[in-house]
Amino acid sequence: MLEKGLVEADTLDAIVDLYEHNIGPKNGARVVARAWCNHDYKKRLLSNATAAIAELGYAGSQGEDMVVVENTSEVHNLLVCTLCSCYPWPVLGLPPAWYKAAPYRARAVAEPRAVLAEFGVYISEDVEVRVWDSTAELRYMVLPQRPSGTGELNEEQLAALVSRDSMIGTALVKAG
Amino acid sequence: MLVLPADKVISTFTASGSLRVDSDIAAKFKSGDSVVVRTMHSSGHTRLPRYLRGKRGVIHMDHGVFGLPDSKAHGQGERLQHVYNVRFAAGELWGRAYAFERDSVHVDMWDDYLEPV
Amino acid sequence: MDGIHDLGGMHGFGRIDPETDEPRFHAEWERRMFGLMMAAFATGIFNVDEFRHAIECMAPAEYLTTSYYEHWLHSLEQVMLEKGEISRAELELSWSKAAEGLA
Repeated sequence: MLEKGLVEADTLDAIVDLYEHNIGPKNGARVVARAWCNHDYKKRLLSNATAAIAELGYAGSQGEDMVVVENTSEVHNLLVCTLCSCYPWPVLGLPPAWYKAAPYRARAVAEPRAVLAEFGVYISEDVEVRVWDSTAELRYMVLPQRPSGTGELNEEQLAALVSRDSMIGTALVKAG
Repeated sequence: MLVLPADKVISTFTASGSLRVDSDIAAKFKSGDSVVVRTMHSSGHTRLPRYLRGKRGVIHMDHGVFGLPDSKAHGQGERLQHVYNVRFAAGELWGRAYAFERDSVHVDMWDDYLEPV
Repeated sequence: MDGIHDLGGMHGFGRIDPETDEPRFHAEWERRMFGLMMAAFATGIFNVDEFRHAIECMAPAEYLTTSYYEHWLHSLEQVMLEKGEISRAELELSWSKAAEGLA
C-alpha cells in the first residue's frame, strides 16, 4: 500500500504514536473526576456526553457520539461489544485484548455476574446489573461511583484513582 | 481519495465527525414503547445479534438518525432511520433460570430491526 | 449474517483471563497493522460496515484461532481486493515475499 501511494510511512508512525502514547484512559479518568466534583458538569455529561467530554478536549474517532451511564446504588453498568470490539477510544484509548476476545464477548451479556466475579467484583442481587451491547455507532462509558473517604481529594487526585476497568464496569473505584 | 499526510493525523482522528444525521425522518417508536425484535436471517451484514431475534423489549431512548449498516456494507445506500437503545430483561433473553430479576441488557437497534408489540 | 462473530450468549469459551499490565501492541507488526488500517480508512476507499463485514465472512475456525489484528489484516486485504485497489497477483506476491522474509 505504501508503494501504491495510498498511505505514507510518516502517517503510520503518527497514528501509532497518537494511540500508543497520547490517547488513553487518563482522559476518561479526568471526565469522571470532573463529574464527581462538579454537579452541573455531571448533569451535562449525563444528558449530552459528547459535548461534555469535548469540553475537556477529548473527541474523535470511535467516540463521535458518546453516552455516559452512571453507576448508582441501584444500577451497575457493564459495557461490551458482542459483535466486534466497539469501544470509546477518545476517553479510554484502545481496548485491551480481553475485551475484544470471544470469552468476554460471549459471556458479558448472558452471565455478567460471573464475568464480574472473575474480575473480583460482586454486585448485590438488589442492584440491577445493566449490560450495554454497543451494536451501533454510539460509544458508551461508565461513570463509576465515587468511593467514600475521598471528600478531601481534589480533581487531580480523584482522577488518579479511576482505573480504565472502572469505566468499562469490570472494576469499582477504591479510595486507594 | 484522500491520502492522509502525517501532519493531518491528529486533527483527522480527533475531529468530531459524528455519523448522526440531522434529519426529520419520522421515528416509528418513542421512549417507553414495547417492541419485539424482528426475526431476520440475512446472509449480508447486520448489527442485529442472534440472541435478540424475536425478543421483547422496551424503547429506552431515541439516539437520532443514522445510516443502516445492512445496506451501507453492500453499497445499497444509507437507508437513514432512527436508532434506539432498547432495554431487555435478562430473563426474557436467557429464560427463567436467569436468577437475578432486576438485571437487563440494553442494545442499540435500528428502526428496521424492530416491530411494535 | 449469522456468523461466528455473533458471539453473544455462546457457551464454551472459558475464562476471560485479562493480561496484567497489557501493552497496547504485542508486536511491531500489530503497530504497523493498526496504523495501516487507520490510514487506509482515512482514504475513504471503504466504509466501516464493509470493513466489519469482511471480518465476519472469515471462515469460523480461522476467525476463532487468529488474533484481533490478524482479523484486521484479513479484512483490509479483502476490501482492497474488492475495491480493485490491489490485484490478486500483487497480494500473492507480497505474501510470498513476506514468507521468504520469515524463512
